[in-house]
Amino acid sequence: MAGMMAYDEQRILEMLRDDEVSRRRAFEAIVRNFSEPLYWQIRHMVLSHDDANDILQNTFVKAWTNIESFMGYSRISTWLYRIAVNETLTFLNRQKMTVSIDTGADEQNICDTLESDPYFDGDETEAQLQAAIATLPDKQRLVFNMKYFNEMKYEEMSDILGTSVGALKASFHIAVRKIEDYFNRND
Amino acid sequence: MEKERNILDKCAGREPFSVPDGYFAGLTDSIMSSLPQPENDNNAVVVTPWMRLRPYLYMAAAFAGMFFCLKWAAGLNTSNQTDVAQTQETTIYSDEYIDSFLETAMIDDYTLYYSFVDAAN
Repeated sequence: MAGMMAYDEQRILEMLRDDEVSRRRAFEAIVRNFSEPLYWQIRHMVLSHDDANDILQNTFVKAWTNIESFMGYSRISTWLYRIAVNETLTFLNRQKMTVSIDTGADEQNICDTLESDPYFDGDETEAQLQAAIATLPDKQRLVFNMKYFNEMKYEEMSDILGTSVGALKASFHIAVRKIEDYFNRND
Repeated sequence: MEKERNILDKCAGREPFSVPDGYFAGLTDSIMSSLPQPENDNNAVVVTPWMRLRPYLYMAAAFAGMFFCLKWAAGLNTSNQTDVAQTQETTIYSDEYIDSFLETAMIDDYTLYYSFVDAAN
């Protein structure tokens, strides 16, 4: 693609402080580099493709409108993940309020929804795993997904979530135990 | 417990979710086109001298209108009072006249009434 620039964080930070055209080009490089990993991070939390796509779009719109407040104190990825995490948790809280009124979604509903979703390719066990993950508290689910699916390092997670590495490790192991208990109960 | 552990091991590294065909190929363009455009200076409204003056002129016109309304209402009030004055005949006595009359005259109410009637005539 003509005019596509390679991802060089230092160069991008300089361009973000430049004029409007340079800033937009730099942001395009950021979007190209981070949209896919961010999408998967969000998708594992919200499960639906459409919801994940909406949250991803909102994440980048929010990042763009607040680009002046990003002064390069953290890495671009950390900053973007923080926005994505906040957007996702806000969405889940809103969804919980609606769902608790409407249907009272439980694990069986999640399995049924996933099995009828054209963009879910997993088998029954994988659908059950998603249902088990959905029983975890949001923060624990976030930690589990980041480690289990995205294979993110604890140090990076710590920067994004503002939680110590020790607490994150503990949170992940508790999540694993809860998931094992879930399968044990439903065996 | 071993079996449950195996489920996590079995599913590890596998992505159960998928996306519509070509989704990631068009994602950057889709996101970039959804970003708000910067303020375009060409679309900025040019402020003409007339636009600057207009609020003051409107304010002046409003005050002038209020002034003429008040003037008209005051004129209406004065002309009504004139009409009343013209239709009634009154005689005005000074306070001194009345005081001295009452102090010096040893008169009862009936005499006082006639005194006023005589004075009026």
